[in-house]
Amino acid sequence: MKKRSVVFLALAAFLIGTVAFAQDRELKVGDVAPEISLPTPKGDTARLSSMRGRLVLIDFWASWCAPCVEEQPELKKLYTKYAKQNGLYRKFQIFGVSLDSKKEGWQKIIRKYNIPWTQVSDLKFWTSPIAQDYHIDALPFNVLIDEKGFVVAVNLHGEKLENFIGEYLSKEI
Amino acid sequence: MKRMTQMVSCIFLVLFSMSIQAQTKTEPWTEAQLKPTQELADEINAGKTKQLIINIGPQAVIKGSVDVGPGSEKANVKKMEKILAKADKNQEVILYCGCCPFERCPNVRPAFTALKEQGFTKARLLNIPKNIKTDWIDKGYPVAK
Repeated sequence: MKKRSVVFLALAAFLIGTVAFAQDRELKVGDVAPEISLPTPKGDTARLSSMRGRLVLIDFWASWCAPCVEEQPELKKLYTKYAKQNGLYRKFQIFGVSLDSKKEGWQKIIRKYNIPWTQVSDLKFWTSPIAQDYHIDALPFNVLIDEKGFVVAVNLHGEKLENFIGEYLSKEI
Repeated sequence: MKRMTQMVSCIFLVLFSMSIQAQTKTEPWTEAQLKPTQELADEINAGKTKQLIINIGPQAVIKGSVDVGPGSEKANVKKMEKILAKADKNQEVILYCGCCPFERCPNVRPAFTALKEQGFTKARLLNIPKNIKTDWIDKGYPVAK
């Protein structure tokens, strides 16, 4: 009986340890992307899951993050090339998630760069639960998810990002 | 051969002085003016905070801190100066941002420079190497509600 309790306790400790470790780890390729359901600048709610069926780039950014803002024209080029063509939405979308704290700053950048894709924010800066869900340590940060919502790439930028999207769309969808 | 040695040592000297220059590229704060996060968290938790904690970043995350907004905006630095005008010059004043590492932060330099100009004897900058999430929130340190 004693032996059984020891084995049971060891197993329980192992499982608790594994769960704790899993909570602490980074988001990896193959993980399910946690749902994001947050307000848009207009005040209505946009859900990440509503974009299923496409390759989606989740762009985590903020108006106070200079490299993130500098990246917006690059993302716009990708959007123009892969997301919208001849007025038709193709199999790629961008979902912008801002870690801003003030609506004015957030909207100012969206207006300045005339960003056409969905933008959401809870305006909670680094206290946003989304930063915890996606284990974000620094900005800029992004995640690419497939048509079923699984992570296919983490934190690609520049040429690597464009190549990945181009290759993925030519093969997978 | 002698000439070669001379040239090599000359190049070495130039590189050496350049590296010293790079290292001493002056920040408005000194090493001693950087306040460790653990120290401040302990002081807040002990309820003995007599210092003035000022947020000069996007959001006041630390419990008991005063929010003036990003130090990159002149209006916010002016706001900070108004608050400081009423404070005791010997009071410890701690500024923090936490948006990003110091080298990429647009807020810490203008705000800390303005703080120094006010002549506070204990001017401090909270040492946040990465950001306020990793170095404060994730560590369970006290946050504003």
